Amino acid sequence: MTPREEISEPTIDELASTLAEIDADGALQETAEAAFGGTRAAFLQRSLAAAAAAAGGLFAANSADAADVATTKNDIAMLRFDLVLEYLQAGFYTEAERLGALTPKTLGWARVVGAHERAHVVALKRLLGRKTVPSPTFNYGSVTTREQAFIRTAVGFEDLTAALLKWQAPRLDSRSVVAAAITLHSVETRHAAWIRHLIGLQPAARAFDKPASQARMARLIASTNFVSAQPQLAGRSRPRLTG
Amino acid sequence: MHPTAGTENADSARRSTRRALLRGGLVVGGAFAVGGGAFGWRAGAATPAPSAATDQQILNFALVLERLQAAFYTAAVDDDALRGELREFAEIVGGHEREHVAFLEKALGSNADSQPTFEFGSATREEKAFLDAAVLLENTGVAAYNGQAANLTKKSLAAAAEIVSVEGRHAAWISDLAGQHPAPRAADPGATADDVAATLQRTGFIKEQ
Amino acid sequence: MRRRKAVAVAFVTATLLTGIVVIQAIRGKAATSERAARAPIADAFAGLPRPPRPAFTVGRPALLDRRESRARFAPVLRRVDARTEPNAEAPPVATVTERTEEGTTNILLVLSEARRQGAAWVHVRLPVLPNNRTGWVPRSALGGYRFVDTHLTVDLNRFTVTLLRDGRPVFRASVGIGRSAWPTPKGDFYIRNRLSGFGDPFYGPIAFGTSARSAVLTDWPGGGFVGIHGTNEPELIPGRISHGCIRLRNDDIVRLARLMPVGTPLTIR
Repeated sequence: MTPREEISEPTIDELASTLAEIDADGALQETAEAAFGGTRAAFLQRSLAAAAAAAGGLFAANSADAADVATTKNDIAMLRFDLVLEYLQAGFYTEAERLGALTPKTLGWARVVGAHERAHVVALKRLLGRKTVPSPTFNYGSVTTREQAFIRTAVGFEDLTAALLKWQAPRLDSRSVVAAAITLHSVETRHAAWIRHLIGLQPAARAFDKPASQARMARLIASTNFVSAQPQLAGRSRPRLTG
Repeated sequence: MHPTAGTENADSARRSTRRALLRGGLVVGGAFAVGGGAFGWRAGAATPAPSAATDQQILNFALVLERLQAAFYTAAVDDDALRGELREFAEIVGGHEREHVAFLEKALGSNADSQPTFEFGSATREEKAFLDAAVLLENTGVAAYNGQAANLTKKSLAAAAEIVSVEGRHAAWISDLAGQHPAPRAADPGATADDVAATLQRTGFIKEQ
Repeated sequence: MRRRKAVAVAFVTATLLTGIVVIQAIRGKAATSERAARAPIADAFAGLPRPPRPAFTVGRPALLDRRESRARFAPVLRRVDARTEPNAEAPPVATVTERTEEGTTNILLVLSEARRQGAAWVHVRLPVLPNNRTGWVPRSALGGYRFVDTHLTVDLNRFTVTLLRDGRPVFRASVGIGRSAWPTPKGDFYIRNRLSGFGDPFYGPIAFGTSARSAVLTDWPGGGFVGIHGTNEPELIPGRISHGCIRLRNDDIVRLARLMPVGTPLTIR
């Protein structure tokens, strides 16, 4: 039985049109302009590298470690990617709520959804155990304080996180990981429909939602320029203090 | 499915026997699958490996839900009692559910179970009853798919994910319209088939299989 | 055959368990009255496999505590002038650099945000003289925000330092402060960096740079920043003993370092 002839990835155009529908004035692109000014080139390089690393491509699985959880390298790489995505979302919604600059309705959405994403972070970290990854450093620029830019980014995040989980589901080795991931997936689509409904967009535009690959997601994350260099707050040089 | 009263044909007998053998197979495998909704999850390996046969069962299970939803929304639009965004919901979501039905029927081909008979009473004629029923059906759909997703073969899983994604959107949308929380939990747990069956039975919408 | 027997056993047992006449279905004979008594859809679903146990479950989501007190800081991404107003034409207050004197990333404590003419500006606390100076920089000049739930307070009259977390004290110690000739400045500041492994016992094992500057030692190399650090003369604490820095006994500074992140706001009274 072949339910579908071929499960194919959406084209860049299709994904772009998903974003375009909610990013009419390029808020996601705008983030790059707003956030990085003169040092943009340098940060673009670093953020791409960080996103690629976060995508699991550069993580060497420690085969010497006894696995905390009996999951395959393939599954661990995917779960790590999910975790980075959850860090990204959780950080975004948490900052928006703390800064409190959005409308009450949007803040109310960010408050609830942020709590969900933070809970997802906790669950994924617990599952990964010693194989977990720390959060990248994020710079959301002014997107967390601007209503339209925030909403467009949030809609994009929710739609695309769900799309990624759809792509991962048939590629995961462990059925229990599938069972767990699928419980998150529908919550992300609820988030997506909820915020679309809030802003007057169609909550459910089509009968079937398409998957989006991890590679595409990594490129998309990189294009937001939200992943930034980690500041160096500690040093070893001699203090230049009055004493 | 059950042959309609008094009729027996080769097809239904074959399906019954296949189902029986599958059940028997499960017993031989050591897992008692009959009854016991309270057992809930089974640890890891006790669930049978995905196969074309279990796909067929699961997709037929999904088909009952999708047919029920499709019929519900179609009837609601036909009964012409809904207004405004609720009507829009019934039209749009009904369209989606009809597409889901078409997809599953095509996927199952001759292995699709026969069409059940539904009756909705006031649920398609009164706004409050409609809202309650729609919230229940959409949330149940999500729970049903989430419960069975990991039992599917990979190809079917990919397709099921594309469907449950939309059911999640429907659930949030109608919950919002009903004044309920669009996303009440951080994760949507899967329900057992028995729990789904009990929920659907309680609606009284399914008259005959 | 074993298989047929197993099936029969299953069905007899199933019948006993559920009280349902399943064998009827196998034989294909419709016993209408029995079938009507039984939930029709249960039959469709009875053979379905159980959901596999998920690899994780998600705990209760925790909303942010509305009572939480958080400060935020951001790294400086590029050299920029801080201005008196959120306006590119406003007079500059000070130039802000990307790095501190010790080579760590320069950070600014953020007080508020504003939008002017479509541009995002940030009101920040400045590590400049005169002390307690604030200014406005474009949001684009700063990196990602980091939030801290801690606040360090120094009481110059009591010679104490206290660390608060979400408003509750979690650490207290005695301190040495500036001599009257080189007083520790009063006001609102923040922790700018943490230094260790520098091998100078005068500062103890750990030294924190702050945004506070000595108002007196303006020609001090590195700008005369006031720090919070350990000491090789613990017997002098508490007392007015330093050139402005806040000195802790070494075991206290080590303890503090475990609890206090860089970026923590600092109030000296």
